[in-house]
Amino acid sequence: MSTQKLKEIIKQVLPDVETVICWQEGFDKLNVTPIFITSPEQVDKVVWNSACAQNLASYLPSQKKKVAVVVKGCDSRTIVQYMQEGLIDRNNVVVIGMPCKGIISKKKVQKAIANEPVEEVTFTDDSIKVKTPSGEKTIAVKDVCPSKCTSCQFPTPIVYDHLAADAIESDKPADSVYADVAELEGKTLEERWAYFAGQFDKCIRCYACRNACPMCVCQDSCIAETRDPHWITQKLSFDEKLMFHMIHSLHLAGRCVECGECERVCPMEIPVAKLKKKINKEMKALFDYTPGVNPEDKPPMYVFNVDEAKIKEHKL
Amino acid sequence: MRVGVFICHCGSNIAGTVDVAKVAEEARKMPGVAYATAYMYTCSEPGQKEITDAIERDKLDRVVVAACSPRMHENTFRRTVMKAGLNRYFFEQANIREHVSWIGLDKELNTKKAIDEVRMAVEKVKRNKPLFSTSFKVNKRVLVLGGGVAGMQAAIDCADGGLEVIMVEKSPSIGGMMARLDKTFPTVDCSICILGPKMVDVAQHDLIKLHAYSEIAEIKGYVGNYQIKIRKKPTYVDWTKCTGCGLCMEKCPTKNAYDHFNFGAAPTRAINIPFPQAIPKKATIDPEFCRQFVKGKCGVCAKVCPTGAINYEMQEEIITEDVGAIITATGYGLMGIENFKEYGAGRYPDVITGIQYERFLNASGPTSGHIIRPSDHEEPKTIVFISCVGSRDKSLGVPYCSNFCCMYIAKQAILTKDHIPDSQSYVFYMDIRSPGKGYDEFTRRAQEEYGAKYIRGRVSRIYPKGKKMVVRGADTLLGTQVEIEADLVVLGNAVVSAEGAAQMAEKLHISYDTHGFYVESHPKLRPVETNTSGVYLAGACQGPKDIPASVGQGSAAAAKVLALFSKDMLESDPAIANVNINTCVGCLKCVKTCPFQAIVEDTLRNGKKVAKVIETVCAGCGVCTSTCPCGAIQLQHFTDNQLLAEVNAICQK
Repeated sequence: MSTQKLKEIIKQVLPDVETVICWQEGFDKLNVTPIFITSPEQVDKVVWNSACAQNLASYLPSQKKKVAVVVKGCDSRTIVQYMQEGLIDRNNVVVIGMPCKGIISKKKVQKAIANEPVEEVTFTDDSIKVKTPSGEKTIAVKDVCPSKCTSCQFPTPIVYDHLAADAIESDKPADSVYADVAELEGKTLEERWAYFAGQFDKCIRCYACRNACPMCVCQDSCIAETRDPHWITQKLSFDEKLMFHMIHSLHLAGRCVECGECERVCPMEIPVAKLKKKINKEMKALFDYTPGVNPEDKPPMYVFNVDEAKIKEHKL
Repeated sequence: MRVGVFICHCGSNIAGTVDVAKVAEEARKMPGVAYATAYMYTCSEPGQKEITDAIERDKLDRVVVAACSPRMHENTFRRTVMKAGLNRYFFEQANIREHVSWIGLDKELNTKKAIDEVRMAVEKVKRNKPLFSTSFKVNKRVLVLGGGVAGMQAAIDCADGGLEVIMVEKSPSIGGMMARLDKTFPTVDCSICILGPKMVDVAQHDLIKLHAYSEIAEIKGYVGNYQIKIRKKPTYVDWTKCTGCGLCMEKCPTKNAYDHFNFGAAPTRAINIPFPQAIPKKATIDPEFCRQFVKGKCGVCAKVCPTGAINYEMQEEIITEDVGAIITATGYGLMGIENFKEYGAGRYPDVITGIQYERFLNASGPTSGHIIRPSDHEEPKTIVFISCVGSRDKSLGVPYCSNFCCMYIAKQAILTKDHIPDSQSYVFYMDIRSPGKGYDEFTRRAQEEYGAKYIRGRVSRIYPKGKKMVVRGADTLLGTQVEIEADLVVLGNAVVSAEGAAQMAEKLHISYDTHGFYVESHPKLRPVETNTSGVYLAGACQGPKDIPASVGQGSAAAAKVLALFSKDMLESDPAIANVNINTCVGCLKCVKTCPFQAIVEDTLRNGKKVAKVIETVCAGCGVCTSTCPCGAIQLQHFTDNQLLAEVNAICQK
C-alpha cells in the first residue's frame, strides 16, 4: 500500500528536483541499496520494506542542487541536525517521510538462518519470511531489529513535506532509550574498561563507521589520517584504535542522531554507537539537549556561552 | 636544528630545590640540543650575554630558558634572542620555578620534573615557526567604566593629557560611593565638598563624554581598537529638556520607592534626583514603583513638569563608541544585612549598616543630617558599632579584611559625639587596622578625645528589649560577657565585589578572583594592568580600597593609558588562529563558537566554503582550535602538533 503511495509521491516531486534518493532491491531481497532517481522509468525500482535500513539523509550535504530524499523517522533526525548545524538549506530538500514500524538487521537475520543463501524473502508488516535451500523460516521483525528500533521514539519523521503513509505514534517508553547505557553505568570502572577495551581491540580501522556516519563532516580531511595535526599514527595498536574511537565519539558530542549507521556497517560487530549514546545521555543531563529533534535548537557545542545553566564554572 | 638550553639558578629560588647541573647534563642528551648550561641569574645582563654569545659561538637556532614563569621574563628573553638575530618565536621558556622549585621540597623529584619540563620545551621549540607581527593604528580614545572617585580621577587625568574620554556610569549620577559619604577620614572634611569640584570637572571637560544611567552591552575588539556597545537605560525623562528643578519629585504621589542612593535608609519618590549635587542633575523614574507603570495611570509628573520632559514611552537605546583602551573602575558592593542572622538579618529597623548611618549623618541625607532611630525617629543616645560584620569570616565566604571599616567607624563615632554631645558610642572590634598616614592617630582620637568605648570582642547576638536593642558580646581583654542596651546598632558590613562584577569581567576578558574582585597583572609590579592588554584597573573593583588609594590608582591607570597612546601604531600578536584552507571542510563550527566574532565564512574561487580569521580581531584564545573537528584551524605558536610534541615528551614509557 504505502509503497504505491511512495511511488506516486516520487513521480509527483521528480520534475521539481535534480534527483530523488530512495531504496531499491540489491543483489537479493535482504540487501537493499540506494537509488538516485532522475527519470520516471526508474520509479518502479523503488522498494519499501523492513530491509530499507540505510539512512539516505547522509547524502544531503554533498548535494549541490535541489533534491528529494525518502527518510524513516530515525533518519529524519539527521535532517533536523543538518538544519541546526547549517549543513543543508532546507529549501533545497524535499523530504518524503516514511512512517516505520521497525527494520531488520541483516546480520541478525543471517544469524537466524545460519548464514544460508537467501532465495526469496517476503515482507509483511511485522515479520519476514525467508526461503533458503533448507526451507522457509518466518522471523518476527522485533526479534531481528537493530537495538535502536526497540526504543524508537520517532516512528514518524520529525520533518517532512510529504508523508507516504499514516503517521504512527511511538509505543516505547521514553526512558527505554538509554536503558542499555544505564546498564553499562551500573558496572564498575574496571568492568566498563574491560568491556570497551575488548570491543575496540577488535577494530581493524577500516573507517566504515566514520564513512557511514551522517554527522562526520570532515570527509577526506579526517583527523585520523592527517599528519598535520598528527593526533594518531597508522600503527595498528590498541592505543591508536582507542584514540580513533575517542576522537570519533567526541566529535559527535551533542551531535549523534543515533541512526545506528556506524554499528550497521561495522564488519567487526563493535557496538560503536554505545559510547556516543552515553555522551548523548550526558548532554541531555547537562544541557537539556537531544540532537536532531527540534530544528530551532542550537547544538550546545556550537555556541559560546560564558556561563552554562548547569555548569558552575564561575561560582559568583 | 641546534637548540641551546639555559637553566637558571634564580639564586637559591630554583637551585635550592632543583639540581640545576643535573638538569643541564640531561638536557645535553636530548635530541637536537647542541648546548646546555646552568647560570646563576639568566635574566641578568651577563646571563643574557651568555645566551647571545652561545647563539653565535655554537650556531644555535633555537633557545630554551628554564627559569621562572614566562609571565615574568618571556619578553626579556624574546628580546635577547632577537638581538642575536633569531626570530623571537624561536624561544621557549620552561617554568621550573613556579611549577617546580617553589611547590616541592623533594630535590630528587623536583629535578626529575624540571628535566621533563625542559624536555617538553625542547620538543616544542623544535617545532616552532618564525612568526612576524604586523602593526596597526591606535584609536586614542579611552573608555572609563564607572563614575566613582577612581573613575573620575582617571577620566580627568586622561582628558588633561589630551585624550578623548567616554565615561559610562550605571546609576543616574556620577559620584559613586564617595558622594554618599558625609565626612572623610582622617581629616573629617566634607566629602561632597572635595568631590564636587571633581564631578564638575568631569561634567565640564570638553574631552569627557558622560553616559550616565548606562551599561555596557558588548565589548568587541582588542587593544587599540575596541568597539563598545553602550545600553542607555530608559530614564522616562527627556534629559535634554529636564532642568533638574525637582518639581516632579515634590509632587510625585508614590512615597515608598526604594532609595538606591541612600541604600534604603528611607523611602523616596518614584521619580527622583538622587542628591542635590548630582551630575547630571536630572530626574529618573523608577518603573518598579511609579504608578504610571504599576497601575497604568497617574501622570502627575507629566502634568507638573514645566518643560514637558516626561516620556513614559521611552525605550532603551544602544549606542556605539570606538575606543583604544578601557579603564575599569566599577567599584564595590556591600554584603546584604540578611546574611547576619545573629544580628536580626534585617528584621530590626534599629540595626542598620554603616553606609545607611552615613546617610543619616549627611546634611543632604533623608533626615537632613539628624541622627534618628529608624523605628520611632527619636534621637539615639547609646550607639553600638560592630566592625568586621561578615569580613574576615570564612563561613560567609569573605576571608579578607574590608580595609576601611575600622576607619569609618572611628569617624562615625567622632561625628556622633559632634551631633549628639550627650551620646555614648561603643565599638566592638577584632583588631583596629589603621596603617595609613594619620590613621592611627585618628582612631586614638575617637577613643581619647571623643570617649568612644572600644571593646575588643565579637557580638554573639542582638535582640530587642522594649525600645532598646540588647547587644550581647564578649570583651576578650577583660574576659567577661558584656551586654549593652543600645538605641541604635550600626554594622560595619563586609565589602564585596560589585553586582555583576564577574559578568563584566567576562565581557572585558579579564580575570577575577573567587570573590569577584578583578585580578591585576602582577600584585606588586603591575598593579593597575590586567592580563588583557588595553584594559586597566582603578579603585575598589580590584579589592577593598579607601579614597586615597582609589584616587592614586585612578591616576596610575590614566598614566598607563597615556603611555600606551604615546605611540601611533601598536604591534599585533602573531600567535593567532590560522585556517588551512586545504583541509577546512566549511562546517563553520568555529564561526559559531568564536567568543570574539573573529571568524567569518569565506568562499574560495572554486566555490568551496571555508572559515577565515580576521587577524586583527582574533585574541588567540584557541576555542576554535578545540572546536574544529579536522584540525584545519590552528593557533599559531600553540599548534596541535606543538602541543602533542610536548605531551609525547612527558608520556613516554
